Amino acid sequence: MLKYLKVWLILCSSSFQSFFVSRVGSVLFLLGKILRFVFFLGFLVLLISRTKVLSGYNIWEAILFYLTFNLIDTTTQMLFREVYRFRQQIISGSFDLILVKPVNVLFRSLFGWTDLLDSLNIIPLIIMIIYVAVKTSSFNFGSALMYVLLVINSLVLAMSFHVIVLAFGILTTEIDHLIMIYRDVTSMGKYPIDIYTEPLRSIITFVIPVGILMSVPTKALLGVLNISTVIASFLIGFFTFIFSILLWRYSLKRYTSASS
Amino acid sequence: MSKYWISLINSISEYFAYRLNFFLWRLRVVIGILITYFLWQAVFQNQNNVFGYSKTGMLTYILLITFLQGLVLSTQTHKIAFEINSGDLSNILIKPINFFGFNIARDLSDKIINTIFSFIELFFLYVVLKPPVIVQTNLFWLTLFIFTAFLAAFLYFEINILLSFIGFWSKETWAPRFIFSILVTFLAGTYFPLDIFPNPIYNILQYLPFTYIIFFPLKIYLGGAQNAFIIKGLIIILFWILILGYFLHYFWLKGLKIYTSEGR
Repeated sequence: MLKYLKVWLILCSSSFQSFFVSRVGSVLFLLGKILRFVFFLGFLVLLISRTKVLSGYNIWEAILFYLTFNLIDTTTQMLFREVYRFRQQIISGSFDLILVKPVNVLFRSLFGWTDLLDSLNIIPLIIMIIYVAVKTSSFNFGSALMYVLLVINSLVLAMSFHVIVLAFGILTTEIDHLIMIYRDVTSMGKYPIDIYTEPLRSIITFVIPVGILMSVPTKALLGVLNISTVIASFLIGFFTFIFSILLWRYSLKRYTSASS
Repeated sequence: MSKYWISLINSISEYFAYRLNFFLWRLRVVIGILITYFLWQAVFQNQNNVFGYSKTGMLTYILLITFLQGLVLSTQTHKIAFEINSGDLSNILIKPINFFGFNIARDLSDKIINTIFSFIELFFLYVVLKPPVIVQTNLFWLTLFIFTAFLAAFLYFEINILLSFIGFWSKETWAPRFIFSILVTFLAGTYFPLDIFPNPIYNILQYLPFTYIIFFPLKIYLGGAQNAFIIKGLIIILFWILILGYFLHYFWLKGLKIYTSEGR
């Protein structure tokens, strides 16, 4: 465990050094992300201040959904940025160089590039979530604890999706957009999942569990979640993780190193 | 003329070489539209009129963004920055072909393919969602819509080429493009019509080029736009096209003087 922490810190250090190679670009990217966050928040406030509610949620509750989405999305992007470069490694054959290293291949493929710039956004996001959560009437210690546990479950689920994308990267080298489709689909969780009509709502709750990934933690915090959904969320998180590992192992066996 | 035609055909052929990628790209466009569509549908659940828009008007606006994304926002001009940085621009410079003509042909191929697919997607969305929509039958509004959409496409093309010309002076061309894409997302009207902004903000936006990329043509399509709005809009968009055209020429010549074909 300590060995992997050391490896991760070394990888973090090298990715952090690369920011200094393109300082202007890195700062502009960070500014762009902040700009996007602020614009969207402004739009949400403008919209709900006029309509008063969005699918039964007031302005603070809708903002809480948006902030939670950003927390999960930003943390995922920060940790698993390497996945975006994975296809190139398969095509160029440089994946072979990772295979021969005395480090778990999946660990290296997932955590090889930690985007530390994103971490600058996470702390303000957590402060904002606490502030907005207190503004909602249903905030209490129990719901806050459940929220934290469900956010962790969401991160496990997000990691599993990234492992699935890696596995598909090995099996079908053609797919460029798969990780972006994951991001597009999960961006449906920017709003409460209740805005989507059936059958789409059921599909993005249970088949592609965007609802569990993005909406369920906030619903727990707002106290509008029943116990069966909580259990289902953890079960889906667990089984998706197991499935992703099995798929990864299957794909690794079929890696032919054809490009190297 | 035939060489530009061949460039266009070649670019189209590239799409058929990477069919799955193109399909997934279009899927991403549809997902984006669906998210915005359902948001506005939820907004109109208990109200008939929001920000001066009826449900029919707003959903028509949102769905037609698919079409304008194909016609206006599809572009291959981002390749120019890469070509400058990698030295591949030399391959174009030594050919008996006009650089801008070649890029227009390459962009047209992108727009043709994406626009054709946007029609298919619009039909699919219409069949599945059965939304209330405004079908514009007034020939004046339709002609003006098409005309302003083409102006918007040209304006967008100019801005994108200018962004790529940053490559002459810097390798960091993606970050400015990322910021530009965010500005387009929010200030061009791809999430919502711009006139839902409070008046002071909307008044400023009217003088920026972003407004004329998506919002202006769609507002015209919906019909009923006042003459003053149309004339003012046409003057501003033509102003931006001319001024950016001048800068395009200026920075192209400046850039060529310092271009070293580095990487070749």
